[in-house]
Amino acid sequence: MKNKIAINSLASGVPGLDEILGGGLPEYSLNLIVGPPGSGKTTLAHQIMFALATPERPALFISILGEPSLKMLRYQQQFSFFDDEKINRSIRFLDLSSDFESAGLNQVLVRIRQELVASSPALVFVDSFRAVNWAAQNQSGEVIDMQSVTQKLGILLSGWQATTFLIGKEIDEYSLHPIFTIADGLLSLEQSVYRNSMVRKIQVMKMRGQAALPGMHTFRITPEGIKIFGAALASDGGIRVARDNGRRDQVNLSMGNPELDTMLGGGLPAGFSMLVAGPSGSGKSILASEFLAEGVRCGEAGVMVAFEQTPSQLHSLAMDELVRAEKIGLINTRTLDLSIEEIVQRLIEMIDKMKARRVVIDSLSGFELAVAPCFREDFRESLFHLVAVLSGRGVAVLMTSELEDRYTDLRFSPYGSAFLTDAIIVQRYIEIDSRLKRVMAVIKMRGRNHCNEIREYDIGDGGIHIGERVLGYAGLFSGRPTPQPPAATVDEQPLARCGPSGGPTLRNGVTPADAMWAGVTPTVAKWHRIYPTPNCCAGRTSNS
Amino acid sequence: MRHQQIKNALVRAAGDEPDAGAVSAAAIEVWLRIAARLIPVIGAQGVDVLFRRALVLTSRSFVWLAAVNNDEDADALPESLRRCLASQEMALAAEAGAALLSRFTDLLASLIGEALTERLLEPVWTVPTP
Repeated sequence: MKNKIAINSLASGVPGLDEILGGGLPEYSLNLIVGPPGSGKTTLAHQIMFALATPERPALFISILGEPSLKMLRYQQQFSFFDDEKINRSIRFLDLSSDFESAGLNQVLVRIRQELVASSPALVFVDSFRAVNWAAQNQSGEVIDMQSVTQKLGILLSGWQATTFLIGKEIDEYSLHPIFTIADGLLSLEQSVYRNSMVRKIQVMKMRGQAALPGMHTFRITPEGIKIFGAALASDGGIRVARDNGRRDQVNLSMGNPELDTMLGGGLPAGFSMLVAGPSGSGKSILASEFLAEGVRCGEAGVMVAFEQTPSQLHSLAMDELVRAEKIGLINTRTLDLSIEEIVQRLIEMIDKMKARRVVIDSLSGFELAVAPCFREDFRESLFHLVAVLSGRGVAVLMTSELEDRYTDLRFSPYGSAFLTDAIIVQRYIEIDSRLKRVMAVIKMRGRNHCNEIREYDIGDGGIHIGERVLGYAGLFSGRPTPQPPAATVDEQPLARCGPSGGPTLRNGVTPADAMWAGVTPTVAKWHRIYPTPNCCAGRTSNS
Repeated sequence: MRHQQIKNALVRAAGDEPDAGAVSAAAIEVWLRIAARLIPVIGAQGVDVLFRRALVLTSRSFVWLAAVNNDEDADALPESLRRCLASQEMALAAEAGAALLSRFTDLLASLIGEALTERLLEPVWTVPTP
């Protein structure tokens, strides 16, 4: 059996690029980097060049009517990857603009060949290819067959055992141009401007022999260079497996409130996602903070992704201390041009760094505002990805969602995110006896029998205190409950009750069901055996 | 540091018994060595533009340098400069030559930074005078 050729893959040195390329740059490949001015082509090329060039693998950067070299050197050295130690040692610049001007494109090809012979560079960058195309077509007196020139250039460069990058400006007619056929790889960069936000995107339109990650991936140009966000979502192939494994060996995480744990039927399983929806001031953030603080108490790090508050107002003093003590990671962003991928990337990095088990996103409303307008259409879809990635890592995620103060309908979230979370808690204000009270209920808990009571709660110094089930009223979630005769308030479904503390006493002290409850105590006991109150510090709780 | 290197290179190039002619020839020689290192990197046009700017700035201190025709072709410019320098007294020609080259490298450094300028011009100072 003949041995197949193994193509050596070069790590590009651009964070996230190897992942979207499907595993690095193939050695000796001919690649095109195309995009409009300002899209980051030269920066990408330089970053790859500085990462790959060594004295044993020297690089040659050829300028033909691209950006003036003086300017290029001036601006590129602002990036931290620009290492001037490498210049004239492992990286050489060759400005052929004068040759091109005086003697034309054929002369440029001759010079490039001479350079290849003289210095045998392993990496060649040509800036810019589209300029070559345009000028050749317009040169008076000299008729150049573009197809043959680009083909020659392509063959010359790839035949010389050099990994080559041609940098081009536009891709209008790319499909018609022969160089696009010859090229092994095609990277397209673009900037999309929508309203007052600008988002950079990169697409691998072609990469021979590799399963490139399809679609547009956002990237950011930072002082360290280009950073591509797409890698985290790329790895979601294993999500279901990880999650299924998680279910078999399920760990229940306490919410930091025993009553709430009981209402949920035993805390929040690792890898589950929870939506806490409620109007402004209902205590969503406090509930979320308690969830993280409980994690820290049990030795589990957490990450808080905050969008709307300033850091100083972010959370309680205790929360602030936990962030300072680096028990809880904080990602606080107020920029308005984020992509979901970027947040996922930062989140994953933080989760890995802190070995976090719990994540809070506070809030989805702030998140949606922070995401660049052009991504808002896909917000729901992206949110699904985000939840999937986190849950795939066995991280429990709690998201808060602002509910409009609209009492005529029962809604959980404005994003249709209700269906993609495993658990939902709704908080509401109700008016009773001319007082506003807070109530909460567990609406959903996937795969579990959870409490169906609407429970009153207070927020005090000690955090959230969940009280009794609100009895004697109907239409609580309408915000304006109406009194109901006591007889009708008897719980007819003991299984759905929430443990002893949520007892069956009626609000006015009349207990017509006392006798009946005595009869169902065994059921309650059984229910508690099935869903014991979680004690996270005692280790894992079986849920099977 | 770089200015001193320029002076050293000029002195070496001018030989043991310098006169105005030798000094001006030395200035051109060092200049051509600098240009040779830079043209591949920033292009002939980039070098030419910077050099003309340096010439204009230096002629503020050495007014007679204005006699060099700045509209001269890039290839003819060094010869025009050499003639102009040679027409002066030796000390003045030496001083103007050093000032011009220093100014040029300063301009370059202001655009691409000291570190990179040093890196690119390093071989110029180490090339032995033939």
